[in-house]
Amino acid sequence: MHYGDRLVIRLRSFRRVVRLWAGEQRGRVVVGLACVPIAAVLSLLLPRLGGETLDLATRLAGTEGEQVDEFYALCFLVLAVALGETAIRWVARRTLIDASRHAEARLKEELMAHLLRLPVPWFDRARTGDILSRFTQDVELVRFAVGPSMLHGGAALIVIPGGFWFMAQLSPLVTAAAAAAFVLLLGSLALVTPRMHRDSKAVQESIAAISQRAAEAFAGVRVLLWFSRAQRETAAFGRQSDDYVDHSVRLARTRALFNLFIHSCRELVVIGILVLGAREAIAQRLTAGELFELLMLTTVMISPLISISWILALVQRSLAAAERLEELFEVTPEPDVGADADLRGNLAVRNLTFAYPGHETPALRDVSFAIEAGKKLGIVGPVGSGKTTLLALLLRLYAPPRGSVFVDEHDICDIRPSTLRRAFAVAPQDPFLFSDTIQHNVAFGHGDGRDATGIGEAVHASGLDLDLARAPAGLEVVIGERGLTLSGGQKQRVSLARALASSGGTLVLDDTLSAVDHHTERVILQRLRHARQKRAVLVVSHRLSAVRDADLILVLDEGRVVATGTHAELLKNDGYYAAVHRRQEHRDTLEDGPLADGPLADGPLADGPLADGPLADGPLADGPLADGPLADGPLADGPLADGPLEDGS
Amino acid sequence: MNFAPDLDEQDQATLDLSHLRRLWPFVAPYRGTFVACLLILGLSFVLELAGPYLLRVALDGPIADAIRGRPTDPNAVWRLGALYLAVTVGGVSLGWTYAMLTARAGQRVIRDLRVRLFGHLLRLGLGFYDRNASGKLVTRVTTDVENLNELISTGVLQSLFDLLKIVGVLAVLFWLDPTLALITLLATPIVIAVSLAFRNRVRTSYRDVRHRLALQNAFAGEAIGGVRVARMFGREPAVAQQFAARNRQTRNAWLATAAHFAAFVALVDVALRTTQVAILGVGGHGVISGAISAGVFVQFWLYFHKLSEPIRELGEKYNVLQSAFASSERIFGILDEPVAPIPAAQPQPAGQGPAALRFEQVEFAYRDGPPVLHGIDFEVPPGQRTALVGPTGAGKSTVLALVSRLYDPSAGRVLLDGEPLPSLDLDGLRRRIAVVPQDVFLFTGTILDNVRLFDDAIDEARVQRALELVGARDFVQALPGGLHAPVEERGATLSHGQRQLLSFARAIAVEPDLLVLDEATANIDSESEALIQDGMRRILAGRTSLVVAHRLSTVRDADQILVVHDGRIAERGSHRELLALEGIYARMVRG
Repeated sequence: MHYGDRLVIRLRSFRRVVRLWAGEQRGRVVVGLACVPIAAVLSLLLPRLGGETLDLATRLAGTEGEQVDEFYALCFLVLAVALGETAIRWVARRTLIDASRHAEARLKEELMAHLLRLPVPWFDRARTGDILSRFTQDVELVRFAVGPSMLHGGAALIVIPGGFWFMAQLSPLVTAAAAAAFVLLLGSLALVTPRMHRDSKAVQESIAAISQRAAEAFAGVRVLLWFSRAQRETAAFGRQSDDYVDHSVRLARTRALFNLFIHSCRELVVIGILVLGAREAIAQRLTAGELFELLMLTTVMISPLISISWILALVQRSLAAAERLEELFEVTPEPDVGADADLRGNLAVRNLTFAYPGHETPALRDVSFAIEAGKKLGIVGPVGSGKTTLLALLLRLYAPPRGSVFVDEHDICDIRPSTLRRAFAVAPQDPFLFSDTIQHNVAFGHGDGRDATGIGEAVHASGLDLDLARAPAGLEVVIGERGLTLSGGQKQRVSLARALASSGGTLVLDDTLSAVDHHTERVILQRLRHARQKRAVLVVSHRLSAVRDADLILVLDEGRVVATGTHAELLKNDGYYAAVHRRQEHRDTLEDGPLADGPLADGPLADGPLADGPLADGPLADGPLADGPLADGPLADGPLADGPLEDGS
Repeated sequence: MNFAPDLDEQDQATLDLSHLRRLWPFVAPYRGTFVACLLILGLSFVLELAGPYLLRVALDGPIADAIRGRPTDPNAVWRLGALYLAVTVGGVSLGWTYAMLTARAGQRVIRDLRVRLFGHLLRLGLGFYDRNASGKLVTRVTTDVENLNELISTGVLQSLFDLLKIVGVLAVLFWLDPTLALITLLATPIVIAVSLAFRNRVRTSYRDVRHRLALQNAFAGEAIGGVRVARMFGREPAVAQQFAARNRQTRNAWLATAAHFAAFVALVDVALRTTQVAILGVGGHGVISGAISAGVFVQFWLYFHKLSEPIRELGEKYNVLQSAFASSERIFGILDEPVAPIPAAQPQPAGQGPAALRFEQVEFAYRDGPPVLHGIDFEVPPGQRTALVGPTGAGKSTVLALVSRLYDPSAGRVLLDGEPLPSLDLDGLRRRIAVVPQDVFLFTGTILDNVRLFDDAIDEARVQRALELVGARDFVQALPGGLHAPVEERGATLSHGQRQLLSFARAIAVEPDLLVLDEATANIDSESEALIQDGMRRILAGRTSLVVAHRLSTVRDADQILVVHDGRIAERGSHRELLALEGIYARMVRG
């Protein structure tokens, strides 16, 4: 990337963070930032007051009466300052950490809202895992910059120079020694801290690998038992565990080094005070109380020093994280502009040629056809012939060339994308469902507040009611990795019901019944015919049974329309269509009565885990990471998990 | 992708020491190291106490002398400094040694426990896996073992020692000045109580955070993964809103954690600082009245400072201990599960060559379930094919599971070459049988790994032959990397037919004496269908086989067909005989 662009992104990321943090959380930030220096100054006063108390006591030794009251007054002052500092630090912590959490949440919210508006081709190139790590790690790093680093770093900026100033007033010699030790400490921590990050990342990766291996072994335990591979697998698991031991020991060594540096530095300063300070005390230039003050100052200054080393190590990463986030924000969303026509669904495609971005060979070549609203269009063809591409273009998930796709004689490039898509109700090839109730999944497409009968009809027409009849919780059952695992056919039926319940006009079914057995398919097709009534349908299918009653059938091959016509016409042609028809007519399935292998049988909706014996409910039943260690692993705790700035901050 | 945590599990457990005893066999091999660690801790405690003592000597010796105008030894300070340096070097080296020793030994203990647990899990029968979700089992070998890790490498010794340290420091304090020590003694329980109470709240709310965060991340993953669906239905705003709602919940959980943590820090601070000021007051009073010297006061002060750290941490240590106990309860609960099937005391070798299989009046019920098989009695002679047909749920798959002893019958016997299965060497038995399940399970690895199931004894040439035999060679060669092409996302990038062929090849590569096959029912595209039918014909040819069949073509050529209905063999015979019978089979065939 260009240096100038990089700078622009850096400035924009800075502006965004400042807006979400100092802008939206102004009250908290102002109060917090005001409290930090006050608390820091009070914490520096404590050693001085403590030293003076001791000196006063030494001076008063042997006296009684009113003079002793002066001593007690001083003690109360110390108490007041100490508790005051605690209270103010509490306020600073509450305001700054809370502000950072609010800003973090807003940042995530804006990011998600933005991502959901990005064009589909962008998602083809992006990896979900990468995007998720923006959400988890990068946002946490940014939060660190405006939360803990303000709290601890701000204090350190005052305590460290202030501490030296107090020291210098007592003994320049001791101050010089302490400064040398502290510089040494900062230097060594600067070396160790990045190693600590690296090692702890390696440990996390290693445990993730262990978890992955275990997850596969347990999910595929039948295969391991059948082929008598349990011992071999255990040995392999042992090797993986050895690897984890190595990484853990390495991390422990780095941690020990970290502690060693801190401990040595502190003790070096104490030795400096002991030797140099004592010599000055003997020379009567320092009192016992002042020596005491020097010791306490050391204690006060150590933890800000550690914070600073930690913050310095993270600040670079925070900046980089903010820039990565800003790069996401820089991607232009799909413009939702265009005409808001009331679409009836007359469809015309004229000489459509299309290649995916970055591909040279077109996925579709010179495709033309037209179909009126309310009719049924069937699209068949071998795998990779362009069927799904054609549907994606109709929905403008990808941009078709201008002048090639028309709905009601509007070029779809001129129609507002959301308006265009509302004219369709899609059951896509990959029946992606959300981990939510079946009810919510079915109702997904129809906006808010539609009556339950619409859902009921959709559930019936899709054949989903056959599955639900056996599930006690019915539509309320939660599906997905945290709930019920559906078979492929069941997922397709939910997806179909979702399309049927949607308020969209033309029904688009992309090989929607591929995982449904023949008998159930017959039932569903029959119900669909009844349910769709005047609704137009676009059906893509491997199976000709789904398209035989279509008003028009397109046969695609390698992106071209190789034949069009009705079922009867295409059979006469004796081409691909007729050949497939012959193959599929030859029935080879043993079925005993309706629904033998149908929706009642093929999944956990039927009867719990023991329903069809050990071989039935596939090894993929419960996702490997469902409740694995990753749950509370690296992604949960963020990059700061093992820092000295504890978990609440 | 899903990162949802296990919600039913609590870290609370009764502090039952019997679990610790059960850890002993794992710790025992390294006991020398742990004893050494204890000695090191003791020694470094003494060194820790030495530092402030040296400071006191300096204050009360040369410095006090100088102030009172008495002659002082100018070298005394240097000597003290040198001593202090020696103490520091000693303490630092001991600390380093301790950290490395506990890390090494602790990690090995944990490794042994983890591998033992994993190995045990793989020796449990399938019944166990029917009852336990695999995600939960993963938690056992990771999170639960990690909790014990914390206990062993820092927890036990450190907290044991922290307690000793508190007692030790208190004793020294009493020796220094009983009045001051009394103040400390009164304050300590208060600090500990505050620390325990609030640390626990922080922990509880942090668990809530992890839970919410996991839900939110899982949702984010779905929102991104399902962005096309949201787009098609124009529901992006609704998805964004749902995300925002989860996001707010996470934020609120964080805010609660931060509030608890801030309260914890502040309250412990208040308790400690009040005590410190009391020490300052009473100690100062002692200096005024001449009861103690300034040096003793400083020494006392520094000792108290050393005390405050373990007290502050006690709450945290207690929590570590608690979750370690809960985890060890779960871990040992699994290690207590009986191995299934129980291996024979004196196993017979499993034999070789074409196998003969026999079921004798076999009954079977899943644990606590109703019987699913009744009086199953049949024989598969060497080199012949027997097909099981019947409706789903009739018990066909269960019959197959009994052959490999994934379960044992509740009555009756299964015999291989005339020997009852339980008398045979289990490993040998399973090596003679190859199973092709309905659903193909592929592991992360290469095509080669998946065909030979990570067994290096099966060479590449044999794998190639197996692939060729089942008709999978062409598609494997077309993959980038061929045999070494990585299998990603458990084979999601391969077609259904291709995965089936790999499963066939896997079965053939082990050159089985008996092939057990559960025919796939899924309706798939016609190309895959053709691949599978062809592959199946090739692997069944000339082998002893037991097949659960769904296709007429598979059944027709079988030497014997068993129609299983309601767990019984309702009809048996050849295709022709059964058709003539005009019973269930004839109805199935004619639809």
